[in-house]
Amino acid sequence: MSHDAAGLPEGIVGHHFSSLARQNEAMVLGMWLFLATEILLFAGLFVGYSVYRYQFPLAFAEGSRHLNLTAGTLNTVVLITSSFTVAMAIHFARTDRRIAAAVCLAITILFALAFLGIKAVEYTEHFHEHALPGKFYAFEKVMIPGAAMFYTLYFLMTGLHGLHVIAGMSVLSWILWRTLQGRYSSRYHTGIELGGLYWHLVDLVWIFLYPLLYLI
Amino acid sequence: MSESGPSGQASAVLHPGDEQEKPEHSAIPYVVVWIALLFFTVLTYLTGKQHLGQWALPIAMAIACTKSALVALIFMHLKDSSGMPRLVFVTALAFLGLLMFFTVGDVATRFRPATPAGAPFGTERSQPEGLLEHETPE
Repeated sequence: MSHDAAGLPEGIVGHHFSSLARQNEAMVLGMWLFLATEILLFAGLFVGYSVYRYQFPLAFAEGSRHLNLTAGTLNTVVLITSSFTVAMAIHFARTDRRIAAAVCLAITILFALAFLGIKAVEYTEHFHEHALPGKFYAFEKVMIPGAAMFYTLYFLMTGLHGLHVIAGMSVLSWILWRTLQGRYSSRYHTGIELGGLYWHLVDLVWIFLYPLLYLI
Repeated sequence: MSESGPSGQASAVLHPGDEQEKPEHSAIPYVVVWIALLFFTVLTYLTGKQHLGQWALPIAMAIACTKSALVALIFMHLKDSSGMPRLVFVTALAFLGLLMFFTVGDVATRFRPATPAGAPFGTERSQPEGLLEHETPE
């Protein structure tokens, strides 16, 4: 890869930016605006959850106690640790330790796979118990009004979150590739930072989903 | 416009950490936050399992908010960022708060004359009256 006089990969700074610092600022702000829309996307589900939990407190408590708390807790630890490894990847990238950064990103992607694997085990359990959303709900252990709403919201919230895990995993894989190419360094590391921001948001959402779904 | 132009200088002032003569970037805050997050996860697990009645939700939400603040400030670098990303984040949270407050506030303050016939809103939400006919309350 060719580098310019300042040691940056060619074509990094857009011609419409006066400096790299300005471009970095714009990129980070743009990412945060996107994350704000993501927060509002999840906000709809969290508000829907609150309304139905207010109306059916017993059904939500009862439904929650039939979820796999061990799996939920394990997934919380997995996601928190993956957030840590992605933060370390960015740290290594900005201190010019490319291989360490790549290893941290690879570990993060493995944690994401582990999260999805544990979630798949849970979904399989629900499927066998007929604890399914909406009109498909036929879970014999919790047959009180509102129980179907709990499981509907559970599937919508964890499902949307799961899609974000898959998206984040794809973004991190791409960034891992770019890291191995040597795109990120102490001079330029905004790309890897933006990918990290997205992954942290996935973690943030789960931090609220865990107590609201598993620990009522 | 060159890098030495007025705007280039302005952003250099805004981002002292992005300049070349910065101190070595430290990983210690990340390790500390990771351990703190694991601690709070254990805490929310233990308190959640107690089913502390009306205190369960406030405690769980307080712990979740603390964990989120750590992630946003340290992992997502809001602590060291300029004002704009912070403003965007806080604005998103403010709109989440508005949506939550007025929607739940609406549902929670309904009374029978304001509720369609047969709907489980307002004063009718309290269970076990909400149980199906063939269910016997414990």
